[in-house]
Amino acid sequence: MRELLILLLACLSVTHVGARTWRYRSGAGASLQTVINGTAAGDTVLVEGTVSEGSIRVDRPLVLLGGADAVIDGGGEDDALLITADHVTVKGFTIRGSRRSNLDDMSGIKVNECRGVVIEDNFLDKCFFAIYLSGVKDARVQGNTVLGEPGEEDHMANGIHLWKCSKATIRNNRIEHHRDGIYFEFVTDSHITGNTSLHNLRYGLHFMFSHRDAYEDNHFEDNGAGVAVMFSKEIAMRRNRFLANRGASAYGLLLKEINDGEIIGNTFQDNTTGIMIDGCNRINVRDNEFRLNGWALRLFANAIDCDFRGNTFAGNTFDVSTNGSLIPNTMNGNYWDRYAGYDLDRDGHGDVPHRPLGFFTLLVEMQPYAMVFSRSLFVSLLDRAERLIPSLTPESMKDDRPLMRPPVRKNRAVAVANKRLFPHSAFVIFHSSFFIPAGMGLNEKWRTSEHSVVLVHPCIFPLGGRYQDHG
Amino acid sequence: MAEARITYHGVGKRYGKLWALRKVDCAFHAGEVVMLIGPNASGKTTLVKSLLGLASPTEGHITVNGQVIGTDPAYRRSIGYMPQISQFPATLTIGQLLEMMADIRELRADEVEDSLVEELGLSAQLDKRLSTLSGGTKQKVSAVLALRSRPGILVMDEPTAGLDPVSSQRVLQRAAAVRDAGGTVLITSHLMEEVESLADRVAYLEDGNLKFLLPVQEILSSTGSTRLSEALPRMLESNALSHVL
Amino acid sequence: MLKVFKYTLIDLARNRFVLGYALLMLLVAQGLFALEGDPTKALLSLVQVVMALVPLIALVFTVVYMYDTLEFTQLLAVQPMRRSAILGGQLLALAAALLLAQAIGLGLPLLVHSPTVAALVLSLSGSALVLVFAALGALIALKQREKARGVGVALAIWFLFVLVYDALLMWGMFTLSDHPIEPFVVPLAGINPIDLARIMVMLQVDLAAMMGYSGAIYKNFFGSVGGTIVAALILALWVAVPVLFAFRVFRRKDL
Repeated sequence: MRELLILLLACLSVTHVGARTWRYRSGAGASLQTVINGTAAGDTVLVEGTVSEGSIRVDRPLVLLGGADAVIDGGGEDDALLITADHVTVKGFTIRGSRRSNLDDMSGIKVNECRGVVIEDNFLDKCFFAIYLSGVKDARVQGNTVLGEPGEEDHMANGIHLWKCSKATIRNNRIEHHRDGIYFEFVTDSHITGNTSLHNLRYGLHFMFSHRDAYEDNHFEDNGAGVAVMFSKEIAMRRNRFLANRGASAYGLLLKEINDGEIIGNTFQDNTTGIMIDGCNRINVRDNEFRLNGWALRLFANAIDCDFRGNTFAGNTFDVSTNGSLIPNTMNGNYWDRYAGYDLDRDGHGDVPHRPLGFFTLLVEMQPYAMVFSRSLFVSLLDRAERLIPSLTPESMKDDRPLMRPPVRKNRAVAVANKRLFPHSAFVIFHSSFFIPAGMGLNEKWRTSEHSVVLVHPCIFPLGGRYQDHG
Repeated sequence: MAEARITYHGVGKRYGKLWALRKVDCAFHAGEVVMLIGPNASGKTTLVKSLLGLASPTEGHITVNGQVIGTDPAYRRSIGYMPQISQFPATLTIGQLLEMMADIRELRADEVEDSLVEELGLSAQLDKRLSTLSGGTKQKVSAVLALRSRPGILVMDEPTAGLDPVSSQRVLQRAAAVRDAGGTVLITSHLMEEVESLADRVAYLEDGNLKFLLPVQEILSSTGSTRLSEALPRMLESNALSHVL
Repeated sequence: MLKVFKYTLIDLARNRFVLGYALLMLLVAQGLFALEGDPTKALLSLVQVVMALVPLIALVFTVVYMYDTLEFTQLLAVQPMRRSAILGGQLLALAAALLLAQAIGLGLPLLVHSPTVAALVLSLSGSALVLVFAALGALIALKQREKARGVGVALAIWFLFVLVYDALLMWGMFTLSDHPIEPFVVPLAGINPIDLARIMVMLQVDLAAMMGYSGAIYKNFFGSVGGTIVAALILALWVAVPVLFAFRVFRRKDL
């Protein structure tokens, strides 16, 4: 006991009025838990080295700072770090070794029933649940990297999991290979901003019964089923990217029983379904970009008063599909790349309405194998005929003022940049193989003769035109 | 007479249902000019084409220098051919065409006989595009192409059609020179007057049959004429065709 | 053969039609990328243009060129040269010229405006179509003595492949929808070279939709390495078989 006292005194370096900073180096004798137990509210503990003494419990307001090589390894017992006091900050740790258990939700960092917790710049390495907040107010989870490992659903849990929380801020985290990247249940008045959620088994982001929340500027890619927002009210979804969520039941964004939401300025690309809207009321869908999705929009007939404006639909196999004929929703002033009308009065809007529900969409609903004819001349003729004289497609679904050009967006075509998998060289190599025999055939004498070979003349190279901005 | 250079053995050619040539047996020798005559569609062109490999006989076979001609194209090295109508790649000049054909025949520079270019007045036109040439000039180019490889066998289809009299004479002189050098010359022509002084033998075809192949002297003496152009009509009228070859 | 190839290529390089083809494609592609507000739309419109126009042009051009050079072919045939060398050289030159024109007219704009995998596959499929339909064109020109009839046959074949075939197949599909037709749809569509080329492009641009079916049959069939090889083989057969027949016809053809 006396040694411990000496050690504590040795650790004591700076003294403030009522707050001290403790410097702890693992392997120096005492356990971290003993040190924590000896601190007072408002103290700071600076930790270095790997702490593997089982579950660490923080039960008073403390700042836990991770030094250069700070690791907290739960060793597979319970939660690696359990926080039960208000105003705890955990910053700069690598945390691993939580017990994998579905029964009692074991986590890398678990926070229970408190307020004002800050979890920042940590690396959560293959935890079961990574960051688990339950009944927490004013939490801030920021700049963490959360990596799980690929596996089966039974053995996986969520990356950042919030239950019955309010006024939380989830910002600039990166989550990969968990079950759901970010999970909200009964969470209100919270913000999710600038996160990247990839390769998660189920949803990149999952809302249940959560109200008045906003998620903005996040990036969701290659998640099993995309992003799901269910049974929630007043959710704002702005400027997110929903990419490459592919599969029979995968969605860029799945909305189920949502009221009064807004979806503004997002990008949906390469998803089997861009947005699926099921049983929603008053959703404002504006200025989004739907590009190269299977179905840009699946709108169930039970969706009411949804409003679509200023969106861009380009390169989707199907722009809109629905399961009913009466569509109590409005579409106005969107850009549809399939629009074949004209704009005589030059106001930027087509003079005849566009019917986004194509004949071919219906054919494929009836006979999925008809998909093989996608983009064939025959299908495009059928589609055109149907648009001129609608016979099978619902009369009410139309955009009366379709845009002639896609609206300009700042973050436009960001996703296209990701598609630039093939460098120019692949093209050049492929096509230059044609020039070799030509070069072989045309020796100097022939090339310099009166009528020179114009084919290889460089002057017919780019005739101008617009270079696409991939920024 | 010298040895047989070209021999037709029962050669027949059928286009669809129509026999253009029926069982022709004949031989052409070294050092002679044979004139092939007959009405339109009598089989003259088919006779020539089957020698050149442009048409393959339906029956029978042809030998050149003792070799039966088949898929091996080597025998054509000794043949010069001047077609009736020539259509050349429109984008080339005369010079380029000559160079190209020499390249294709793999002629060395010392094997090329180019004096005819000068003689027919083509030297100044070597840079002219073939598409801009008149029919006569095309014929001249054709003649040059046929003759410049110094062929042992020369085949000319209506060589004088479209040519001016002077050029006609010069081309025919060249044909005579080929014969004098021991070559075989086959000429099809409607204009007997121009060719008769040159011909050693005359082959007459009708409906694909070779009616006769006789020395010019024999034809003249049997009809008592001095000119072929008089002798042939008489011979045909008198049905003096008992000795069909 | 190399000599015929060389001189035919020189002739083709100055051929107005080949130049026109290169310029037309360049104009269409550039125009689509410049006029369409959206690069994705431009690429997809180009897909339709390529699938319809490329076969038509390759077919008609080859047929017309073969007729127009008949006299020159005759001139070549009396030279000490094998028939197979003549046709081989001509076909290679035709293929090279058309591919070259396409590289400039289609490859270049794609390279500049949309260097994506989809565009590369479009380029590749377009090139395959050029070869297939040039081969068919050559066969038609050799089988049919009359130019007008040859062009007519070419147009009919194009129309069949580009439209009628799909229409019939789709009609059959919906008529027989009560029967298990699934195993036949993909192979039947795959027989048509235009459909096959289109499916290869579709696997890039419509992939997301195709992943939507739990069976994901097209993806499984064509999207796998094996499927790609099968598709390439079918296209190669579409080139090889007409070319082989063309050689057989030409070897004994009366010129």
